[in-house]
Amino acid sequence: MSHHIPEVVIWCLAIALTAVAVLLMRQRTITTGVRRRIDQLEESVRARDEEIRHLVGVRLPAVADAAGPSVPLPGPLDDRLTGTDFAHSLQSVMDYFTQAVDRAQARADQSAKAALKASMRALQGLAHEQQLAISDMQDRHDNPDVLRDLLEIDHANSQFGRRAQAIAVLCGSWPGRQRVASPLTDVVRGATSRIRDYRRVRVHSQIDLAVVSRAVEPVVLAVAELLDNAARHSQPNTTVEVSLQPVHNGASIVIDDAGVGMDNQEIQQAVALLSGRRPVDVSRLGDPPQFGFPVIGVLAARYGFSVSVDTRSPYGGVRAVVFLPSSLLTQLEIDGPGTTPLTGHPRGTAKGPRTSARTHTPRPAERIHPPQPPEHPAAHPGPDAPATPGAGTVVGSTSGGLPKRRRRQPGAAHPRPAAPLPAETPTERTAEENARRMGAFARGTRAGRVGHHPPPDGRIPGPPPGPAPGRPPGHAPAEDEGNPHA
Amino acid sequence: MTPPAPRHERGLVRPYVVTDGRSHPTRNTFDLVTLVMAHGDRPLGGLSPEKRRLMELCLGGALSVAEIAGHLMLPVSVVKVLLGDLVDSGHLTTRAPIPSAELPEAQILQEVLDGLRARL
Repeated sequence: MSHHIPEVVIWCLAIALTAVAVLLMRQRTITTGVRRRIDQLEESVRARDEEIRHLVGVRLPAVADAAGPSVPLPGPLDDRLTGTDFAHSLQSVMDYFTQAVDRAQARADQSAKAALKASMRALQGLAHEQQLAISDMQDRHDNPDVLRDLLEIDHANSQFGRRAQAIAVLCGSWPGRQRVASPLTDVVRGATSRIRDYRRVRVHSQIDLAVVSRAVEPVVLAVAELLDNAARHSQPNTTVEVSLQPVHNGASIVIDDAGVGMDNQEIQQAVALLSGRRPVDVSRLGDPPQFGFPVIGVLAARYGFSVSVDTRSPYGGVRAVVFLPSSLLTQLEIDGPGTTPLTGHPRGTAKGPRTSARTHTPRPAERIHPPQPPEHPAAHPGPDAPATPGAGTVVGSTSGGLPKRRRRQPGAAHPRPAAPLPAETPTERTAEENARRMGAFARGTRAGRVGHHPPPDGRIPGPPPGPAPGRPPGHAPAEDEGNPHA
Repeated sequence: MTPPAPRHERGLVRPYVVTDGRSHPTRNTFDLVTLVMAHGDRPLGGLSPEKRRLMELCLGGALSVAEIAGHLMLPVSVVKVLLGDLVDSGHLTTRAPIPSAELPEAQILQEVLDGLRARL
């Protein structure tokens, strides 16, 4: 019996060992599972930590710094969290924060704009007032030294006015002044007047197009900003070349500088600003604030012209092109106060009937200015203008009601009508005119012989009353022919 | 009748751009009544718009400095700078106004008239 005991023990041991082995195996499986689960959970917690850190460190600052609603914001870091409650909570934090930031920004922007606008309008008014005062002084003082000082003050004042105007426009104000339609050349030179280095700007090609009244000031302001940019970003010894080109459905102002140019990123930024689509935030113009492109963008979008700066100038710098569509252009206004000094030109009508008979080429003044602008009827003595006493010297009246002096002709100071007359224009007179002149001569000599009082039939000695229509009364024909330039 | 244009309309192109920053005329021979005459044979190309307008004005006959300033709506002192340039370039010549001494006096004319009347 005793030799059976070890066998039993062995069996028992074997069973026990098997059981232990099975248990161990199971334990091991469980442990592995638990470990894996712990790892997963740890990973998950770490991911959430990461996500929170990402939210605080990246996403929320991005919202706060975003330049506008169109800028894409960074998303969550880890895709595994998508759809979980945690992700939803994070998103609601983001949304809430975004709204709060937007509201705060809008409020800040609005109050900044309102404050800036009001103060800039006031400054603009002062600049304008000062400009009028300076203009008055320029008229009043005839001393070149005084003029030099006044020109300097004027120049500084113009730049000051432009700055105030630009900021006011950026804050939603109107450009300020209503002007008459002005030639494109004057518009560009007006813009030149408002920058520091105006002497470096060269305006080539003059074209006979004018900018309509409502667009004058905005275009001046936009071109001034472009010229200022061009002049500031190029060497002081280089010039800024401006050329004006009529194009298919409008006109272009091309501004070339010989400066450093812009890199791709700057160009992209400029294009975005110039499009005018992005709302401008006055509190984010940089330090020092860059007003130029945002102002141009605002004006271009509001008035319907376009500006591009993405071409390279042949001189190495930037080529800025302002395109003005036909709707902003008009033919050169001939009666604008700034464009025509010649509306009261007495010879325009005085010579009316004669011009066709002569073979001289029309003077530039006549080509540009049609002889009878209907807006100034008073400036031209019409055919039915009364023959006033002393009509030989007074040929109409100014818009202020003052009589107009007939212009002194070279060689007409001592009128000797007899000598050049027959030789110069023997064939131009009609028979009636000859007869009338001879009659006048005869009446004159008769009156002289009879005595120095008028004859009883009431006719006055001298030229007959009622001169030919369209011809100024009195000595006009003699003076016309005494003029070598006519 | 057109009302006179508002004052600020002339303020688009400032005088320092017109004179290119200069304030002293190249010659000091102009006063308000100096007469200016243009030479029509000089080319107008290359002149600034104001000088061109000035030439167009003067091609119509002699004008005084004051009249030119009025037509161009520029200060007289600025016009003098432009005139100095144009005289230098040969576009213009100036003539001093006719002194009153050269004109026959009214008294003499009256005497002549009386004499003629007495004879006839």
